Amino acid sequence: MSKGLNMPAFTSIPARLTKFLLLIAISFFAMQSFAQGKPDANASPDTFVKAVSDQALMMLQNDPDVRNQNISRINEIVDMYILPYVDFEKTTRLSAGKYWREATPEQRIALTKAFRQTLARTYSGALSRIDSGTKMDILPFRAEPDAKDVVVRSRVMQSSNTQPIGIDYRLEKTPSGWKIYDINVENIWLIQNYRNQFSQQINSNGIDGLIAALNERNSK
Amino acid sequence: MLLNASRFVFKPLALAACTLTVGCAATQGTPNPSDPWEDSNRTIYEFNDGLDRVVLRPVSEAYAFITPQPIRTCINNVFLNLGEIWSGINSVLQQRQFDAINTMGRFLLNTTFGLGGCFDLASANGQPRIPNDFGVTLGVWGFNSGPYVVLPLLGSSSVRDTFGSVGNLVGNQLNTIGYIPDVGLRNSIWGLEFVARRESLLQISETVDRTALDPYSFIRDAYLQQRQAKVLGPEAAADALPNYENYEDVAADNKALNLPPPPK
Repeated sequence: MSKGLNMPAFTSIPARLTKFLLLIAISFFAMQSFAQGKPDANASPDTFVKAVSDQALMMLQNDPDVRNQNISRINEIVDMYILPYVDFEKTTRLSAGKYWREATPEQRIALTKAFRQTLARTYSGALSRIDSGTKMDILPFRAEPDAKDVVVRSRVMQSSNTQPIGIDYRLEKTPSGWKIYDINVENIWLIQNYRNQFSQQINSNGIDGLIAALNERNSK
Repeated sequence: MLLNASRFVFKPLALAACTLTVGCAATQGTPNPSDPWEDSNRTIYEFNDGLDRVVLRPVSEAYAFITPQPIRTCINNVFLNLGEIWSGINSVLQQRQFDAINTMGRFLLNTTFGLGGCFDLASANGQPRIPNDFGVTLGVWGFNSGPYVVLPLLGSSSVRDTFGSVGNLVGNQLNTIGYIPDVGLRNSIWGLEFVARRESLLQISETVDRTALDPYSFIRDAYLQQRQAKVLGPEAAADALPNYENYEDVAADNKALNLPPPPK
């Protein structure tokens, strides 16, 4: 009986080895294609934005926690699939404007974190409405070949029989490739929209007051 | 003589450039040069917001509660479709012929095959709506936006857009739904339009409530940016990017920091 069990195992070693090697080969190719699927920050800006948003869309599309506006899940996805391609410190720095120079390194970190949380809340509503019908089209892109600061325009159809939303991304060329730092939804630039609110708060309550105000909003 | 003339010409020009250049107005912080009437505007804003919370929002939410989403979308689309005529006329007035042709094409397609505008087939086929109004037309004709104004009941506007609203009322309402002879029916349709429009904005007002540090200035800045972009048109607006550079320039920053502290 034990002989009967051992025999097939013994004879099939080459077969198993082949299968093992085949698996390695497959996973190698899978890894390679996964790596190719990852957004390439050194590609042209429109290709890069398309890859980033396609990847994020795919992750958001069928996630039940996203549908239920689960902030921590949305944060997780944003952390993994959007934030690596965003220069969020720059977004915060430009929103704070001249006051950024007055901020201590600790305040800068706290402000960036609080602002990031605010934006996750801003977009959690919109992100939770993403479904299988959501489509994004990149509009024709034009820029000088040596441009360092560009805008990629896109149009998002949230679901059928509604108006598409215009979303533009502003990118900067960094040593490690393109990074998104500002976003425009229906003609409203994010940084520009927060700048006055930031300076109002800082004028009356200082930078710590602004951080506290953002965090208070975030905890509601 | 020449000096006087140039001052006479250039001062308004510089002012116009300041209002027209995105970012220029906003860099001053408080008080905001594009909103010199902020105090009275805020009072009217509070009044509108209170009224909205007590009456308009509950009515819109009730409407959303009893009406399924596809029907709401359909109703809203029908009103938007009716508005295309006035949008198209304004595109003509602004010499944006391609926009006018596209808007008319949308109107014809959606009115016929889209069953009176219920289905926005044109958007589904790659021709999105090109919203336009008389305030934008005045802007394209060279009228400066003027200070920001919050109108009772109507909300965000500017001096120019207030005049534009009168044109829109005549062109988009009195000359369409206004022709319905039955007063009761006409007013009911206007009521439905008002509620349907408010309902379509519910998600946006929720977002503003949840995230804005100061909803008043959030809405004001969004309004001014959006109107500015519409007057410029999509190509020019894409080129007229907000210039944040001076915030990164050390010299500019130091100069800014040496300014006397702004009044509290």
